[in-house]
Parts: sequence; C-alpha cells; structure tokens
Amino acid sequence: MTNPYIILGVSQDSNKAEIMKSQMFAMKKKEFPLQVIAVAAKQLLDPAKRLAADFMFPAKIKVKRIQPIQCNLKHKEINTDSLNENAFNSLK
Amino acid sequence: MGVIIVLIIVGVVGYFIYQSLPNTKYEKAKNLFNTKDYTQAINILNEIVEKHADAPAKLAECKLSLGQQASGKTEKTKYFTEVTALRKKISNSATFAKFDSIEAKALFELSKIQYEEAKGNIEKLSQNIRFIDTANQKGSESNFSSLKTKHFSDLAGSHFKKATEKENAGKHSEVIDAIQSYTTARDYAKKSNNSLIVNNSTSRILICQLKLSQSVSLVGSSEIEKSDKNYQKELYFRYAIHLLKNKEFSEAEKIISLHLNFQAADIDKLKEILRTEKVNNAVKIVAEINASIDKLYNSTLSTEELKSFYDGLDTASDELGIIDYELSEKIADIKPTLFNRLLTKNIENEEYNEAVNIIQKYPKFWESPELLKNLGICSYGLAAKGLLSERNYKIVISGWLTSVFSDKVILKSLDDTTWDDNYTFSLTEAIGSNYALHEEIPDNVNYDEVSESNISIGATQKELLQQFETIIHKEIQDTKLSKLVNDFYDNEKDAIEKIIAQIENDVFFATPYFAISNGLNNEIISELDNDYNTYSNEDALEAGVSYIKNSTSTVVYQYFFANDLIDRVKSAIDNENSGTIKKLNTKDNKKWIEKFDNISCTVEDNLFNSISNKISENDENEKLMSVMEECISFSNHNEKLKHQFSNYVANYCISKVNDEKIDNFKALSLMKGAYLRSPNNPKIVKNFITLIRFNLMDMLNDQTRKTKDIYNILDWVKNNMSQTYKQNSDELSKARREILQQLKQSGADISLFDDDNPLSRLHLNLGQSLNAQGLKMKRVLTYLKELGNDQKSTNPLDALSRLRQQLNLDDDLPF
Repeated sequence: MTNPYIILGVSQDSNKAEIMKSQMFAMKKKEFPLQVIAVAAKQLLDPAKRLAADFMFPAKIKVKRIQPIQCNLKHKEINTDSLNENAFNSLK
Repeated sequence: MGVIIVLIIVGVVGYFIYQSLPNTKYEKAKNLFNTKDYTQAINILNEIVEKHADAPAKLAECKLSLGQQASGKTEKTKYFTEVTALRKKISNSATFAKFDSIEAKALFELSKIQYEEAKGNIEKLSQNIRFIDTANQKGSESNFSSLKTKHFSDLAGSHFKKATEKENAGKHSEVIDAIQSYTTARDYAKKSNNSLIVNNSTSRILICQLKLSQSVSLVGSSEIEKSDKNYQKELYFRYAIHLLKNKEFSEAEKIISLHLNFQAADIDKLKEILRTEKVNNAVKIVAEINASIDKLYNSTLSTEELKSFYDGLDTASDELGIIDYELSEKIADIKPTLFNRLLTKNIENEEYNEAVNIIQKYPKFWESPELLKNLGICSYGLAAKGLLSERNYKIVISGWLTSVFSDKVILKSLDDTTWDDNYTFSLTEAIGSNYALHEEIPDNVNYDEVSESNISIGATQKELLQQFETIIHKEIQDTKLSKLVNDFYDNEKDAIEKIIAQIENDVFFATPYFAISNGLNNEIISELDNDYNTYSNEDALEAGVSYIKNSTSTVVYQYFFANDLIDRVKSAIDNENSGTIKKLNTKDNKKWIEKFDNISCTVEDNLFNSISNKISENDENEKLMSVMEECISFSNHNEKLKHQFSNYVANYCISKVNDEKIDNFKALSLMKGAYLRSPNNPKIVKNFITLIRFNLMDMLNDQTRKTKDIYNILDWVKNNMSQTYKQNSDELSKARREILQQLKQSGADISLFDDDNPLSRLHLNLGQSLNAQGLKMKRVLTYLKELGNDQKSTNPLDALSRLRQQLNLDDDLPF
C-alpha cells in the first residue's frame, strides 16, 4: 500500500483544493492506476483517513545538535623501562 | 660288668654320634635362635652350613637379626652384607624361597643405611635408587617403595635448592638451567606427592620464563595459588610488567586488582601506567567521536558508520567514566541525537528490521509516543513489504497493535501537520484512550460528539487496523506463516481490547506479547486484580489470563489455574483418560473452580460439550463410560452429564445386545450404572427392567454362568426401586404369570413355587419337595415376583436415595 501523499505527489500540509488538483495531475501522469489515484484522493479528503495516512510519516524527535566534545585530558607517553622488575625478588 | 661297660661305651659313643648329626645341630641352632642367642646359633650353623639344606637360610636370619641389633653403621653393614653373601651356599629351591625374604630385608636395611648417607647428595641418592631398583625385594616391596619415595622427595628438594642457586646467580644461561632443575624438582615432587615443591617449582619456572622475557600463560594454573606467597607476589608483579610492556592493559589491570592488591610504591607505579593508558585511550576516543561528529554534520557518515558510532557509544561512555565522569556524561548525551539520526535513516532506507531492533533496545521506548509511533510505522512497513517471518512476526504484530491502540501515538500525528488546524478531534470512539484521566489534554482534542469538523480518532485507529489486516489476510503467500500471523494477530488484538474494556486507570495498554517482553504485564495484572477485588468482576480476570508470565500470587493466576483445570479435564476426555480426571478431582481443585462463578457455572456445559464431541466421533465407545462417570463426579452440577451418560449407556447396551456383541449380564451391569444416575428416566428404567428379565430367563435356561453376580445386582435392585421403576416393573410380573401359566398347563403343581402360598408349606410338611431344576425355577419366579410390581419393598427409595447421595447424585432429574 503506497502512501496516498506519494501517489498524489502532495505535501502533508496541502489543502482540499490542492489535493483535488493533484488528483487530476496524477491521472495525467499515469504513474499509478486510476483506481489507486481515486482511492488515494478519497483517503486524503476524509480527515479521519487522512490522519491514518499521516500516521505513516515518522515522528520527528526533538533533539539537540551535537557539539564537539571538549576534553582537557592530554596524551602522555607510557614508559615501562623505569619499572624495577626485581622489586619483589623472593629468593633473597 | 663287662657287658655293662660295653653298653655304657656304646651309649656314650652313640650319644656323641647323635649329637654330631647335622639335623641335631640344626635343631639346637634353631633353639638358640629362638632364645635370641644368635652368636651360638651362628657357630653351630657354620658347622653344618654345607651339610644341612636349611642351615644357610637360618644362618642368614641370625646375621640379619644381629645386624638389626647392632648399633654401629659398619657393623650393621657387615652383617647385612654377609647375609647377601650366603645366597651362593643355598642348594635347593625350598630354601631359596625362605632365603629370598631374609635377603630382601637385609638389602632393605642396606638401602636405608645408604639413603642416610646420601641425603642431600643428588648423585648418591640416584645411585641408591638404582640399587633399590635392582635389589631382590621379595616380601619387602612396600618398604622399598616407601624408601624410594623418600629418595624422590629428597631429590625434589635437592634439585629445587640447586635451581634456586642457579636462578640467584642471575645469568641468562643459569636461569635456563634453573628452569631445567625446577622442572626436574617438580617431576620428583610429583612422584613423592610433595605438593609444596610441585607448586613452588611451577611458580619459579614461570618467574624464570618471565626473567628470560618468554611469553607465559597463568590461566588455569591452580598450583600458583598454592605456592609460597612471596613467590606469588614476585610472579604476578613480573607478569603485570610483562603485560604492560605488551600493551595488554586490561589483563594487567585484572592481575593487579586481583593479586597485587596491597600498598607498595612499585605497585603504585604500575597503577599509574594503567591510568596514563586510560587517559590516552580517553583522548583517543574523544578524538574519534569528534571526527565522527564532523562527518555526521558534513553528511559524509555512511549508515554503517553511523550505526557503528551509535553502537560504540555505551562502551565509550563506560570507558571514559572511569577517568572523567563529566566526559562520560557528555558522550551519553549525544546518544539520543544519534539514535534519532540512525532511526530516521533506517526508516528512510526501509531498513525496518534494524529500526525495530534499535527502538527495542532504547530504554523504556514505549514511554515515548514518537518512538512507539515509529515502531508502528516500521511494523507496518515490514508487513507491507512482505518481510514478516516466523522469527519476527510476534514483535511486529505486538508492536503494531500496541502503537495503534495508543491514542497518544495517534494524537502525535496532529503535531506535524497544518491541514488539520480547522478541525478538532474527538476521543469518544478512540480505542485505548485514557486521556480522560490526564490533567492535560491538547487544545484541539475533546470528548464531544463526532461531526464533520470534530474528527473521530477511533475511526483513524480502525482505518489503520483495517489496512494492516488487509495486508496480513491477503498478502502472505506462505500458508503456514499466514495462519501463524493471523491467529497471533487475532489473539493479541482480542487480549488488548479486553484489558482496555476492563481497566479504568491510566496504565500503558500493550498487547500480551509486548507487555510480557517489556516487563509491563504485572502492572496490567495488578490493575485487573484490583478490579476483581473491588467489583468481583471476573471478566477482568479473564482479560488478564493472556498477560500471565510467572505472577502466580495474583487472582488472575488463580483464575487461569481454575480454567486450566477444566482444560485439563477436557483434554483427558479427548484422550479418554479417566485416571487423569480422577486425579484432578480433589477438594482443593474444586475449591478453585468454585471460587469463580464464570468457571463453576460453565463446568458442566464444558464437559458435556467435550463428551458430545467424543460421542459424535464414536457413539459405541465403552471406554468413554468411565470417563463420563468421572466427569459426573468432578462437576458439582451434573444433571445434564448424568442424563448424557445414562442415555449413552442405554443406547450402547441396546445396540450391542441386539447385535449380540455383549451378553445380557454385561448389559445389565452397565445399565445398573445408568439406572443409578437416572432412576426416574423411563427409557433407562424400562431397558433396565427388560435386561433384568433377560438375565432371569438366562438363568432359568442355563444360558449364563454369572448366576451369582446377577443375583447380587438383582438384590441391589430390590432395595433400590425408584418410583419410575415401580411404575414400569409390570413386565416382570407378566413374565412370572406366563411362566406359571405354562407350568400349570404342563400339569405341574404351581403352589410349590410360591412360598407365600399356604399350600406350598403343606407340601413341605407332607415331604413333597422340588428337584434342583424345580428349585432354580422357584428362585427365578420369586425374584420376578419381588422385582415386579406384585411385591412392594418397604421403603426402597430411601436406600436408593442414600446410595445416590453417596455418589454425588442427589439432585432430581430436570428432564
């Protein structure tokens, strides 16, 4: 089932007149069968059904723009040479 | 006199000759040996060593004893060596056997002496082991074995000491030698069960390997943990350094925290290195995250990279949390944005499975109407694209239904458009709406009547459900999958509708699968329990059954349990298993059923229908009778069941008797059960009476061997005649009259067959009596009379009532 907005090529905010106009346009374009176009138009002209079509658009979640992470930590070279391997010599 | 002197001389000579015989000397030596006079015994035995076969062995025994008594090592050695030298003096095999064990003891004593001298000397110890290995050990095997073990233990100690000396020297080659010596020490220690040296050698070998910068593995070595504590400390310290040098930081951290958990400046140095590494790692992680953020806003981050970026955030946040909590929080904060980006990309690319996956992993996603709506969209997308499978259909369907049944989700759609600004929306017909309980309701939403400008949210929800149903009904090609999907959809939808109809409070409505998967079911069950407790509303319990997972302490569960009992009985009916029904028929089980009216009122109908189904499959199944009897006993209300049973038995008996498939006695036995349960059902009673007549005739004509059993049943009937029985027992009286008439016609004196007839007693007094056949005839006639309506029992109904009461059959027949 293709979304009626896509079939008619209209935006989610289009009004009744725009929907009817787009129906004519879609029929001329012949991208979809006439019956499909008629059903799509009927759906968008019925507010309850149009709301069902709107349901299929993903909900936009309000989120913040990510800022680069500020980090005060500095890289330091690791030196293992200074370690005393005989520190716990158990034979002495 | 001369004779006497000669005799004396002969006697003396004889005595001396006797005394000088080897046997006599050997006996004397033995006596001396027994009195521990070994020296004297040796002297005598030396004289006969070549002459008496047992002398060398006894001599050896004496020398062994002397050796054991001796105090000096040299003297001991001398005696024991002399024992071994006697072997060559032995000539016969019997003596060899005796000598072997004495020699073995001597050799053992020699080994002991040599061991004392060899202690701490690897060469001498090894030499003595060879001595032991080649020695005759007959009879002293365990002594030799223990002594050898002592050698091994000593050798283990010596090699270990040698190894430590080499290791201490510190040179590369000597450390290599030390490993060899520790290995040898460990081998000897294993042979002598010296676990201390085994454990210590293991630790020291590993220390030496680390000194030589060889790679080692400490995994699975229980010996290390049992070795000397200082060795362990050195080993783990060296190993931690080894790991740090190889950049195996997390492993090094584990070793330090587990085994070097004490204060020391050198340990602090290790910890400082670990911290530096973590800081460096944090710097690296932050740099990578910043690079990914750059790519994200330059639109150069691919979906795979975005996914990997998102997936790695938790780990990155955890790693940074150890070093810098604030930094970790900053990382965690970017997760929702990335999640949103990834979800949007997945939905745009129609990667619905991936989208569903990440939504489900998002903590408490169902609390966000946006995420729940997107879950619904993805679920719809998967169904519409034919991507439902046996693996995902439950997630998809439960996600879709839970999403659409949430009015908050539907209202969310209103936020993103302007076309609807001239409309208002009514929740009157909405499914799953609990907005009435919310403090805030959107301005354009109300509970007013639906009109052209006040749009029904419920209609939108129904439209969405219808669209989805069209897809799953028509577009799933795989028949098996289609059935699974549609059945599951119907059950889930039915269940969520039921809870919505019952629950008044503001809870999250989800389908059973969704609720159970996300741990939301207990809240729903608790609401339903409350509803039952407040209003005794059993429909609320019924609604909760699908939501049970393991909440056994709830009323919903009790309701489920009671229902399940009925299902188990129905299943037992189906399997013709009367034993199971009998087991389920307990006071406790009945108590649970009686607790719930919905269940207790329908028990009889439920069982009746199940039995009817079985009867429709096969109406001549004798096995079903015991099942039916158990069902009558199980159900407190059972009139219908009794009627069903009695008719079934009667039909069965009529058919089988007519077809001669069962004999009259069996039919009578079965019909007794039917009569007992329906004593006033004319059909049952009439057939029962006919069978009584048949059985009496069979006895009269010698056509049955069950005479005793038949009379038992008939005696029972005499005491249990129902009103209907009495009204219909004329058949028996008639049969009696006919028999008497025939007897009369054949010239017999019929007064002989009736004890009540005064003539009968007269005949008896005159010495007239009946033969065996006559007596049999008389008995049959008597029963026909007593069971027919010629004879009335005093109060038979009382007895029948009592029996019926005992069998839970006390109600009157309603038909």
